[in-house]
Amino acid sequence: MSFRLQMVICGAVLAIFALLVRMIWKKKIDLRYALPWLCLCVGMLILDFFPGITSWLAELMGISLPINMMFFLGFCFCLLIIFTITMSLSRMVRKQKQLAQELALLRREVEEMQQRNAEK
Amino acid sequence: MKKLIIIPAYNECDNLPHTIRDVREHAPDYDYVVIDDCSTDETLSLCKEQGFSVIHLPVNLGIGGAVQTGFLYAREQGYDIAVQIDGDGQHNARYLKEMERKMAECDADMVIGSRFIKKEGFQSSVARQMGIRYFTWLIRMLTGVRITDPTSGMRMVNRELIQMFAADYPKDYPEPECVVRALKSWKRVVELPVIMNARQMGVSSISPVNSVYYMVKVTLAVILAWF
Repeated sequence: MSFRLQMVICGAVLAIFALLVRMIWKKKIDLRYALPWLCLCVGMLILDFFPGITSWLAELMGISLPINMMFFLGFCFCLLIIFTITMSLSRMVRKQKQLAQELALLRREVEEMQQRNAEK
Repeated sequence: MKKLIIIPAYNECDNLPHTIRDVREHAPDYDYVVIDDCSTDETLSLCKEQGFSVIHLPVNLGIGGAVQTGFLYAREQGYDIAVQIDGDGQHNARYLKEMERKMAECDADMVIGSRFIKKEGFQSSVARQMGIRYFTWLIRMLTGVRITDPTSGMRMVNRELIQMFAADYPKDYPEPECVVRALKSWKRVVELPVIMNARQMGVSSISPVNSVYYMVKVTLAVILAWF
């Protein structure tokens, strides 16, 4: 990997990291869900500064260019993140359903109480 | 003065009767409310049967959400003081009087019951103690204040902090983060030595697997809370 490429990647990753931290600080994203993205940034920085790792992994997997290996790893990690978000989303939809049902039942209870009071 | 004890509980039907008995005996001048975090065991039916004051969450929110519900209730009902006592029986209600006195004496906004000032009673496992000591150090580095038991759930807050926490409270592992938030807002935080008990029955929610995530997440959260 050329030095220039290393610096470009480093700059880009640090900028994204800073943006993420700023968004967490401003409470636009939850720290818990931002963590995997922060890890991705740290991981890419490590691979960027130690291209030896990337070369070794690339050779192991039969990928010819280390830079391709880096993007491939980044891509796989993103897929993983998307999948965990899918799981979180499923959980959240279920909770939302429970909330809606509880609300509906509560409203019914209140209406029945009001009716009973009105009849007295 | 209106005083409330917030008792977050998730699947604590075995420990809850003892906790409520303790609260009624040693703190009869306090109101209390159990926050049932959508328990899957008989916690809710137990509370209804025994006439325990309870708020039932329709969805599980975790300790952060449950305790915040308590603060929302405290704010709504106009309480002057709110104190957290865990539903698992680890905290003793007999310290509440002292905590209240300390709050008045020191003009404090938050009083934390610490296991590690006198180091008596249940001290938690070695691994956890190391983790706790790390957070003591981290908080001291950032804020200059030495909090010996930043993860203690036994804490008493005044009206201002009730408002602050009702508006915004961390979702998981909230204890260290909310101490730092209070300190950042120039609130006075003091500690009091207390004795805690080992959890009698059931399972704690922090496991070895969660520990790494816990350390990383809370470290970041604490740092972000300070700046």
